[in-house]
This record gives sequence, C-alpha cells and structure tokens, in this order.
Amino acid sequence: MATEVEVSREDQLKFPYWSPIRRRFDPESSFFAAGNVERELLAKQVALDLTEEEKLQFRNMEDEESSKLYCPLVGCGAHLRSLDEFEDHYTSRHSAACSVCSRVYPTSRLLSIHVSEVHDSFFQAKVARGFAMYECLVEGCGLKLKSYKGRQQHLVDKHKFPTSFEFFKKAHPSKKQRKKDQHKQAFGTKEAASRAMQMEEDTMDNLVSAVSKLSTSDSPSSISFGRRHNRGLTFVPRAVRQAKEPESSARRS
Amino acid sequence: MADEITPRRDPIKSSVGNVAAQRRRQHAITVAKERREAVVRTKRLCRVGVGGGGDDQLTYDDDGDGGDMMIDAEQSILEAQTCSAVQDLQLAMLFQGKGAMQKRVAALREVRRLLSRSEFPPIEAAIKAGAIPLLVQCLSFGSPEEQLLEAAWCMTNIAAGKPEETKELLPALPLLIAHLGEKSSLPVAEQCSWAVGNVAGEGEELRNILLSQGALPSLARMMLRNKGSTVRTAAWALSNLIKGPDPKAATELIRVDGVLEAILQHLKKADEELATEVAWVVVYLSALSHVATSMLVKSDLLQILVERLGMSNSLQLLIPVLRSIGNLVAGDAHVASTVLVIGQSITDSILPALIKCLESEHRVMKKEAAWVLSNIAAGSVEHKKLVYSSEAVPLLLRLLVTAPFDIRKEVAYVVGNLCVAPSEGSGRPKLIADHLVFLVSKGCLPGFIDLVRSADIEAAKLGLQFIELVLRGMPNGSGPKLVEKADGIDAMERFQFHENEELRCMATKLVDKYFGVDYGVDDE
Repeated sequence: MATEVEVSREDQLKFPYWSPIRRRFDPESSFFAAGNVERELLAKQVALDLTEEEKLQFRNMEDEESSKLYCPLVGCGAHLRSLDEFEDHYTSRHSAACSVCSRVYPTSRLLSIHVSEVHDSFFQAKVARGFAMYECLVEGCGLKLKSYKGRQQHLVDKHKFPTSFEFFKKAHPSKKQRKKDQHKQAFGTKEAASRAMQMEEDTMDNLVSAVSKLSTSDSPSSISFGRRHNRGLTFVPRAVRQAKEPESSARRS
Repeated sequence: MADEITPRRDPIKSSVGNVAAQRRRQHAITVAKERREAVVRTKRLCRVGVGGGGDDQLTYDDDGDGGDMMIDAEQSILEAQTCSAVQDLQLAMLFQGKGAMQKRVAALREVRRLLSRSEFPPIEAAIKAGAIPLLVQCLSFGSPEEQLLEAAWCMTNIAAGKPEETKELLPALPLLIAHLGEKSSLPVAEQCSWAVGNVAGEGEELRNILLSQGALPSLARMMLRNKGSTVRTAAWALSNLIKGPDPKAATELIRVDGVLEAILQHLKKADEELATEVAWVVVYLSALSHVATSMLVKSDLLQILVERLGMSNSLQLLIPVLRSIGNLVAGDAHVASTVLVIGQSITDSILPALIKCLESEHRVMKKEAAWVLSNIAAGSVEHKKLVYSSEAVPLLLRLLVTAPFDIRKEVAYVVGNLCVAPSEGSGRPKLIADHLVFLVSKGCLPGFIDLVRSADIEAAKLGLQFIELVLRGMPNGSGPKLVEKADGIDAMERFQFHENEELRCMATKLVDKYFGVDYGVDDE
C-alpha cells in the first residue's frame, strides 16, 4: 500500500523517458518571436527604408533579448549573452583541475576542498584527532562535519543532494593515460602517488561502508559517479572487495 | 556687469562643443531605440494614401538625409510646423462662410502631410496642439469624403506611435468603427480600418474596447469582398484585433457568416499579398480558438495551405502559411488521423513542402518546419515511418550538426520522436529499434550530446533522454560504448554541480546504471 509520500518519491526516482508528444505554442510565445519580427521587417522595409544590415541587426537583437541565460552551475549564476558563450565560460571558469590526480571540479573552492581532503596528510591528522574538518560543499552553508559520511548525509538531508552523489568521482583517464597507468602499476613506481591513492582508498572504504548503510534498496552498493577501469589498479573500492579483505587498509603516513 | 561675466566666458565656450556632441549621441541612441520600436510593433504607418494619395510620393524625403537621422533642429522645425498646421485647422473649423469645406480639407491635408513625411511623425506635437478633438469633429457623419479620408489618415498615423499617444484616440474610436459600415465609400472604410488596425495593435486593453464597440463584425464584412486593397487592410486589421490573448475574438470571428468561405477563397485564389494577410488571420484563429481549429480542420483549409506552401517562394507568405499548418497539427489531435491520413494526396504532398522549408536559407522556415515535423513524428507509427523514409532525414541529420541552436533543438525533437512509439498508458514508451539504430549509425548522437552540454534546461533534458534511448535500445549492449566514444560521459558529469535537481538525478541515474562498477571490464 503506497502512501502518498511514497508514491511521489517513487515518481521522483523514475527517469523521465522520452515520450513523443505534440507541442503547441501560444501565439505570443517566444518560440514565434523570430517569425513575428521577420513579418514586420518584410512588411515595413520599404516604408522605413531598412538596409540589409539593419534587418540583420534586428534579427540578432531578437536572439539576444530572448535569451535570459545564466550559468546553471551551482553558485555561479553568470549571465550568458548567448548559448554559444556557455562553452567558453565553462572551460574558462569551471574546469579547475587537480594537479596531483587530475580530477576536475567546477569551482576553485571545491578543488581546494578536494586537495585538502585527499592529498593533505595534515588534514587527515586533524580528522583523526576528532576535529570537524569536512566542509559542506554548498557555498555559504559553513557547516563542518567530522567525517566524510557525515558530510555526505548532511548534503542529502539539508541540501537535497541525490543519495548517490559522489564527491570523489574518478577522473576518466583517456585511453593513453590508462595504458600509462597500467604501465606504472606494472613497474611499481611513485611513492607519493601511491600514498595519495592509499589515503583515498581508506576514505573510499569509509565511504563505501557509509553508503551501503544508506536507505534506498534499489541503488547498488557501490555507487559512484564516474567510470572505472578496474584492471589491477589498487584504488577501486567495492563493497565486494571490502567484504573479502576487511580492514586491510590501515596504512597512513 | 561685463566684469562679472568675463571670468566665466571661456569655460562656457569649451563645454558647448561637448554638450552638443553628447546630445547628438543621446539623440542617436533614442532614434535607434525608436526605430527598433517602430519595426517591432505590429502597427503600420500610412505614407501613401489608400486611394493612391498621389501628390505625396515625392515629399517623403525632401531633406535628403535618408529620413532616419533627424537632427534636433529639423525635428523642432517639424514640430513647430505641425503646431501651426493644427492651429490653421482650428481656424478652418470655425470658419462658416463660402469655401469652408475647401479650407478645412486644405488644412487637414497639411496636417496629414506633416504626419506622413518621416518615419517619426510629430505625433506628440500634434496632440499637444489639440489635433484630436478637431479630427474627431472632422469625422462626423455626412462630412464630405475627402474630409473623412484626410482625418482618418491623420488618425492612422497618430495611432502608429507610442502607447500614450494611441490612447488619446479613445474618443475617436466609435466614429472610426462607424465608418467601417457598408454604406461608407471604400477608401474611407479602408483608411478607417487601417486606423483601427493600428489601435488594435497597441495592446489588449484597446483591443477589448474596440471589440466591445463592435469593430469585429464590420471588419469581418470587409474581408468578404473579392479583391482590392480594402480586403487586405481589413484582414491585417483583423489579425491585430483577434490576437488575444483572450480567444473570444477569434472564436467570434470564425462564427461570422461567410468568413470561413472567404478565408478559403482568398487563400486559394488571391495574389500573394492578400493571401499573406489572410494567412496571418488563420495563424491567430488556429493558435487561440479550439472552435476555430475544429471548423478549419473540417474544411479544405489544410489542403489549400499545403499547396501554397509547396508552390510559393515568398517568405512573407510562407511564414504564416507554415505556422498555420503547424498550429493546426499541434492543436488538434484529429488532424493526424482525419486529415493527414496515410495514402491521401495531402499527406503525400505535405512532406515535400516541409522539406522545401527545411532547405530554405531562412532560419524561421527551418525552425518552424522542424517543429511541424516533430509533431507529425509524434503521431502514429505509420506517420513516423512516413517521415523516416522521406528525404527529410538526411537533411535533419545535417541540420542537427550545423544549424543554429534553436533549429537543432527542434530537429532533436523530430529525431527522438521517430525512435519512440506512441505511449500506451502509463508504461515506459517502447523503442522503435530499427529507426534508432539507423539514425545513430548516421551519426546523430554527437548532436544530442552537444545539447546536453548547453545551458538551456529543455535542451539538456532532451539530450539526456535521447542518451537513455541509446543506452537502453542499441542492440548487443553497444549503447554505452557509443555514448562514451561521443564524450557522453564527460557531458553527463557536468551535471554533478548543476543547479537543476531533475537534470542532476537524470545524469546520475544514467551513469550509475550504465557506467557503473562493471563498465569496461571486458575491454580489449
């Protein structure tokens, strides 16, 4: 017996599949604006003595006016004069990349949070001593939690993030990079890199155990946003793996 | 005294130049804005009289400056001239003796000339000088035709201006409407309908007033005539009068005796100019009134429209014809099943006509044609097959990559609609696998992924929905690889920090389901 609340939640979880429907527009809808401008231009070009240039101007003006566009990334809100501008805006403002592990974040703030949480041993030391170090990812909230899991929960509860949200997504390495990584693996190099990876592994383990305790029954236990190539790389956490090797990851520097 | 002024002389001198330059710049900006206003609003200035108004052809641009950069000085001269012309008219109105009528007409003509010379007539000056009450007087019943003509012409151009100016014509409206009657001479009725059209083009409030004063039946009757500029002007005025947003007027119009037949007749036989204005009437009828739409659908209209669409090359005509077809297909569920029946000649001819529009160089044609196709493709499986097997597909695929954004979005709707069967009840709509496979093999996926990346929410959602179809529906689980190759994962990862929750959830679900733990394990 689904109650009203449950039903709506289920709907919320359902993917809105493509459904072919007829689309109708009101005569004054912005959909028709360009055609309306064209009508007036053609009717008045003689009476108003419009040049080709002017006509072009009027057509383009219509475009810019009707696009009240703002950058849709959380906390940005930058005004975009046209849709084409968005790509440039995105690449210049929202691709902060981590120099250690190449993950990309949409703001420099999130990048610096990532760097502290994943690549900074001092951070981990403070966590171990019980300080609330995990900042809420939503700018302006200011709350700090004591664990990754706790912050995750806060994001879901307070800020309505999806339960499967993953701050530690993997950057998808290009094929070339993947081959390089495998190569590195085979020759067992780079202490620093592996340390970083191990720290992450620990956090990952924590995350996975936390996540697996979360509610939704239909979500897989190893939830993450990102692709994985799991061949022999150490830093892939899986609920399955954890079950096989409990607490093998006590290495911290 | 001189000593007091002297210290200030030099500073004043040097700033005069700046002030003048600044005023010129400001004026240029105002002019540009006003020019834009003049273009965009649905009003039309009357520069040549309805009867031919012969003597004015040469006075358009007698200052030779192209009419568009009226410098301050010229504008104020014009205003002064207007003021004195109105005063002359006032005197003429008071004069009772011999030749009074000629005096009145001559004075009116002068005011009219000043109001038709440039594209920015001195309307405000005329109103301030008290022109309107005088013009109303000139419209009184029984006045000589020339007087009525000139007065109505003046009002036409006054009504072509700003909202507050147009509103000043309120007292004149009943008279203007009265002169639309069947006993009026044709030129007078036409000039009055032009004025009414401009007033109606001002806004909903004035439209409602005109409707309440009975403008609609009179204008409708004028449209029943066979030919001539009267019909055209009346049709244009009607399109302004019924444009709503209240559908009442549209419904009232279609119910007037003889209107439907007249519309069909004009669209079928009339020259392109008249057909254009009548087509715009149909645009508003079909967009606003369900009553009108069902009456129109039951008639020959769609057939006639499709023929025009296929044969004409006039952009002016094609726009409202295409849009009318679009409105009818979109608005009425029965069009597809009763009119666009597979096998009927109309169904066979509508596709080539729409394809011709897709091939047009004009953006509006491409966009609205794609919209119509998307609605046809949203119909039965037979309709999808019809579109799928036509010449439209290669065109659409090309447009999906090369066209401007608004066109790409419409094309995306067509392509997606072709791949999904009509939904039955509440379940997930079924895929049409062979359509999907073919279209993906022809490279449509990158276009959708591009839409996913855009800042437009509707487009992004569309892109994600199509990606879902690919992930789900491509045979042998080839979907995920295809999406990855096209940088789809990258595009979807952007949504992690997107402010729209629905899009975030959609992207997350897709990535979780299709690019989760086991993805890529069996790679080469």
